[in-house]
Amino acid sequence: MTRQPALTEIAAQVDQLHRIAQELYDRSEDFPALNRNLKRILASIHMLRINLEEDAD
Amino acid sequence: MTLHQGRGADTARQKLSPHSRRISKKPMNKSIPYWNPFLETLPRERLERLQLRKFRRIVRWAYEHSRFHRALYEKAGVEPDEIKSLEQVRLVPKVEKSMLRPIQSKDPFPYGDALCVPLDEVTEFHQTSGTTGQPVYQPDTWQDWEWFSECWATLLWAQGYRPHDRVFLPFGYNVFVAFWTGHYASEKIGCETVPGGVLDTQARILKMQELRATAMMATPTYVLGMADAAQRKLGIDPAKDLFVRRITCAGEPGALIPSTKERMEKLWGAKVFDHAGATEIGAWGFECEAQPGGMHVNEAMFLAEVEDPETGDLITEPNKSGKLVISALDRLAQPCIRFDSKDIVQMSPDQCPCGRTYKVFKGGVIGRADDITKVKGVLLAPSAIEDVVRSFPGLSHEYEVVVEKRGDMDHITLKVELAEGSGQDASSITEKLKTELRFKTNLGYEIQTHPYGSLPRYEVKAKRFKDLRKRGDA
Repeated sequence: MTRQPALTEIAAQVDQLHRIAQELYDRSEDFPALNRNLKRILASIHMLRINLEEDAD
Repeated sequence: MTLHQGRGADTARQKLSPHSRRISKKPMNKSIPYWNPFLETLPRERLERLQLRKFRRIVRWAYEHSRFHRALYEKAGVEPDEIKSLEQVRLVPKVEKSMLRPIQSKDPFPYGDALCVPLDEVTEFHQTSGTTGQPVYQPDTWQDWEWFSECWATLLWAQGYRPHDRVFLPFGYNVFVAFWTGHYASEKIGCETVPGGVLDTQARILKMQELRATAMMATPTYVLGMADAAQRKLGIDPAKDLFVRRITCAGEPGALIPSTKERMEKLWGAKVFDHAGATEIGAWGFECEAQPGGMHVNEAMFLAEVEDPETGDLITEPNKSGKLVISALDRLAQPCIRFDSKDIVQMSPDQCPCGRTYKVFKGGVIGRADDITKVKGVLLAPSAIEDVVRSFPGLSHEYEVVVEKRGDMDHITLKVELAEGSGQDASSITEKLKTELRFKTNLGYEIQTHPYGSLPRYEVKAKRFKDLRKRGDA
């Protein structure tokens, strides 16, 4: 198998992505096209987090 | 400044143009055998830590958001934070389907008080088939739906689906969950996905031929039925005249019953893979490309326990059948926590050569607790009969088993069909069949042979096992 990507680094970038998407979502209450698409984007970002999650204890 | 002012605005508009796309210079590596190379190969110890953490989190979620779960856990005296190990998971009460039906008559309509999110968050409605009683409604949020199709993407990738595939779904999607998430997962992977919904069987076959579909998903009953229709009604040999090279089966056993798998693979010239899931649970199991004679549990997304059906004791050793109790670790709208699936499974002692660290259930779902029944004091699984019947080339795919009382004695009638144009002597097949069934199931059968085409045909889930000793199975 090829090398594993640097997961910690990727996870940090996903967190940034989530923060930006959440901020945009929070500002989109009067803009349905943004609001609903951001809702989907947030679900996809959450799926990225699930894909990278591991107990780091 | 708004987007409509000055030169900067033009630049901003350009940047925001929906038509500006950047194509990555590094295309995805399609030879990676795992959808998630990280989770699917996680060492067992780390995988189990992840499962425990997720289990605690979903129990806490249900406790805080569902009146049904809170009442259940309070009655059992369980606090989510008390669960410190996977052994302690068993402190959490199990949930059976029969418990979900009455709560769905409560508010909020139509899901009742196991719903953990506001109704506005629910984007998907599905329901169970109601085979075992009143159907159960299943709400999902967009997040849940994303998760469900991710589980399917994991299994399709493991079975070799790649973006160059053209995937045909010969199934009329409806209120049942079947193949919806297979469709979305196929899209997620990047396959060209063809909905073959309302077409009839012959039209579907012709469309598959026209489009040169390379993969499809269907129940084993329908995979066999389609091949039969292609040959008899259209003069098409699926193995030679079609282009399907992989088939994913769901909905009923068959793809891991050796003789049924062999029939399907031979008829289609394709690799046939099994998959297990349920509306209330999700897509929890899959056979990988290595075809290890069993099914992996997607353990990053599910926690699977196997327990003795009689005593309820946990089974940890391989090669011992038990009932699957399963938790979906990331499904939120209507959580599935320690759900009594009624599926009978058996852990394999072997590690799969594919390299996944996920457990393998030997033979996949080998029966249903509801179906495995005692006949003349012997435990009988319908799948064992199917394996014998379909190992006889002189017989068609169809059969029917009727168990009834004659006086005080259990009596089994097995109705089989001669294959079309087999030209074989019915009495010699009958004798061989009796011997083989006696050897495989330890039971005696009355065999009735019927001409080709006289037994019922099924399009989706077949009902071939009838136990007339049970009320309502006639």
